[in-house]
Amino acid sequence: MAHAAAMPDAAPAVPAHQPSAGTLGVYTQKLGMWVFLTSEVMFFTALIGSYVILRWGTATEWPDPTKTLAVGITAVNTFILICSSVSMVKAYAAAVHDDQPGLKKWLLTTVVGGATFVGIQFMEYRNLLHEGFRPSSGLFGSTFYVMTGFHGFHVTCGVISMAYVTLRAFQGKYAGGKYEGIETIGLYWHFVDLVWIILFTIVYLI
Amino acid sequence: MTATTAQASHGHAHHEELPFIRKYVFSSDHKIIAIQFMFLSLLFLLLGGLLAMAVRWQLGFPGQPLPFGRLLGEGVAPSGVIAPKFYLGLVTMHATYMIFFAIMPLLVGTFANYLIPLKIGAPDMAFPRLNMWSFWLMIPAGTFALLSLYAEGGSPAAGWTGYAPLSNTPVYSGVSTGQIYWCLGIAVFALSSLLGSVNYITTVINLRAPGMHWFRLPLSVWALFITAILAVLAVPILAGAIIMLLFDQVLGTHFYLPSGGGQPLLWQHLFWFFGHPEVYILILPAMGIVSDIIANGSRKPIFGYHSMVYALCTIAFLGWVVWGHHMFQSGMNPTLGTTFMASTILIAVPTAIKVFNWMGTMWRGNLQLHVPMLNAIGFVAMFVIGGLSGIFMASAPVDMYIHDTYFIVAHIHYVLFGGSLFAIFAGIYFWYPKMFGRQMDETLGKWHFWLTFVTYNATFFPMHILGVAGHMRRIYDPNTYEFLRPLQSLNTFISVSAFLLLGSQLPFMWNFVRSLARPKMTDINPWRDNGLEWTLPSPPPHGNYATPPIVLHGPYEYSRPDTAEDFLPQDQPLPAHQETR
Amino acid sequence: MPAAEHKHPNYIAIWIYLALLTAAELTVALLKLLPRNWLVIALLFLAVWKALLVALYFMHLKFEPRRLVVTIIAPLPLAVILILAILTEFAKQP
Repeated sequence: MAHAAAMPDAAPAVPAHQPSAGTLGVYTQKLGMWVFLTSEVMFFTALIGSYVILRWGTATEWPDPTKTLAVGITAVNTFILICSSVSMVKAYAAAVHDDQPGLKKWLLTTVVGGATFVGIQFMEYRNLLHEGFRPSSGLFGSTFYVMTGFHGFHVTCGVISMAYVTLRAFQGKYAGGKYEGIETIGLYWHFVDLVWIILFTIVYLI
Repeated sequence: MTATTAQASHGHAHHEELPFIRKYVFSSDHKIIAIQFMFLSLLFLLLGGLLAMAVRWQLGFPGQPLPFGRLLGEGVAPSGVIAPKFYLGLVTMHATYMIFFAIMPLLVGTFANYLIPLKIGAPDMAFPRLNMWSFWLMIPAGTFALLSLYAEGGSPAAGWTGYAPLSNTPVYSGVSTGQIYWCLGIAVFALSSLLGSVNYITTVINLRAPGMHWFRLPLSVWALFITAILAVLAVPILAGAIIMLLFDQVLGTHFYLPSGGGQPLLWQHLFWFFGHPEVYILILPAMGIVSDIIANGSRKPIFGYHSMVYALCTIAFLGWVVWGHHMFQSGMNPTLGTTFMASTILIAVPTAIKVFNWMGTMWRGNLQLHVPMLNAIGFVAMFVIGGLSGIFMASAPVDMYIHDTYFIVAHIHYVLFGGSLFAIFAGIYFWYPKMFGRQMDETLGKWHFWLTFVTYNATFFPMHILGVAGHMRRIYDPNTYEFLRPLQSLNTFISVSAFLLLGSQLPFMWNFVRSLARPKMTDINPWRDNGLEWTLPSPPPHGNYATPPIVLHGPYEYSRPDTAEDFLPQDQPLPAHQETR
Repeated sequence: MPAAEHKHPNYIAIWIYLALLTAAELTVALLKLLPRNWLVIALLFLAVWKALLVALYFMHLKFEPRRLVVTIIAPLPLAVILILAILTEFAKQP
């Protein structure tokens, strides 16, 4: 939202596809997403922090996660999510350079990667529940399901949003170097990946 | 509400005429959204007040049938007498409605939405459609909150603070569905609050008009901006904590259940880590609004503008490390408790600076005691009393005695009613003309203020005495305790004052509604204020400014010797074209 | 001014880096190559390293204005304070 009409001491007019920046030097959509992500950091702090506190702050016995959980398949899943982060950033680069075929290809890859991640998580949940490992299975069950569940929920919201963005890309809404929407949703996507990087380590491996 | 079509015709050619439902119902215009928040919150304010009346009835006339009590149903009020479990529900839901569905949406949802874009010279919020979502999420949130009152098994009875394990163990509380709705209502509210705050922060950082440097922002905008930062960081903690509570209730998890290895103190720490910044969310916007109104009513610049800003920042910063003072008696680690005591006492300093600056602003000012100014001055006086009682509680040894007594209830109500609500009244009276193009009646406004002021003090001041005498919070019948029986007459006095306090709101309600039907006023700046919003028609058109205003100086240029008028709007040049910093 | 003006980092290189770090984590964790405490420290170190790579390069924080990075980092100590404070609480319990 540039107030850059011909005003005496205002900033010079910026070209259509160059977003204007405020005090922090970033355009509005990106700033909004970063503010939102900060709130998400606090949200996951509550959940992950509680896990840290309940596991290491109290005297509770904790089962070895590498024995209870399917670490192998989840490691593959982690890799898939990281790949989708790479495809996301490639999509962003494509948008910046107005490479429309590349943008569409990489966005689709990201959607597929994200959906695969959710699918595999879903299957893992089914297996675990089948084996009797439930949210009510002690503190391990409580913390496992709430952390991975809300992470999965965030990924799902991401996949839906990404599908919508992909649709818009196919409609040419990001042509002409208009990369802001791609960069903004990319930030959300990378954040979700980042949270998983932490979660995978502290829930599955430690 | 007047149509904005006439004003919209100049300068906003990009906007076609919208159907009624897009213009007034599912609107993305921040001004409409603000007014929607206002109406919703005022309804919940009334409901919360009615619940309080029922509470006061039971305390003032224990065991007597409540007037119209039979309407409540035999389940909650057999023969019209409030049942003990329902009493706890009343106390819980009174606070829940007031804090989450009245005060917060009034201070933040209404005033942040209405004032921020107008006062910074922006056409709207950074994300108008997200803003619309922020309001409409309040509907399911409010619905859950209302449903919980009459849920099967009773309304949540664990207090608005929902301490576990009482709140997650139906075997103890008898409440199951009600508590679940409570969790859901607050969780959805948290999302609404979060989305709004993201908008406010982004808007203030990126959408200020040319010349609106940070230290030319009105204090109301500063306060709302800092409040939004607090919300963005604190509300997610509440959301996480409440989700875990909800999971304890419905999925059999054990986060807060000792039987499963969980920790009740975990809930308290998480809740109050949110809870303390929350109380600053409830007071900072009030302080900002009052600053603007006191400068206006004193016809003087605010005393110490920069220190006011730094005080806001300091309060917000320190507010993160005082949460333990709500938990001094929880059995928490005593060393940790001592650090909280120190930080809590420290936070009185920036707060006092603000009080002195308000007084400094009024000192030798050309005082215009209009209704908003009366309410603003009332705020300062009452907030000081609330703050003074806070100093007692900050000391852990004293708190040992007064925790969970009516001394705390007195403090809460002095800062939330004497503080936040008086500021809200001030703000409504002040910005009503801009919102609706009509002014509220001044005489009715003065009746409202004075009646409220007197009955409010009669209601809440004696609670200090009750508290020090040992009267506990949240008890159904004080007469079951021998040492409280002599205090019954004081309780009855408080209750009668409370009924009169509710009655004192009638002039306000009548004034609010009646004034909407009065003829539109021609004066777009009845308070002769410097804010940018007063340069626009009332109500301002969609998109606010036809061209972005250029801001030339700060917001408090009142009574300058070198100007003809005693005020100077921010887009008017200073005499001899000097720029202030 | 726009972030695109810097040269893009080599995203594929970062990807390989991340893959290698993940493999290292798995090796250390599953083969239990270290005593317990050192294992935890090593795994946390690797996880944070990966997270930083994502934040700095994929989220472009390395190329954003300092003011933005400072603003984002500023609230993080709050998260640490919260967790540490509650941990001290429970450290006293048997």
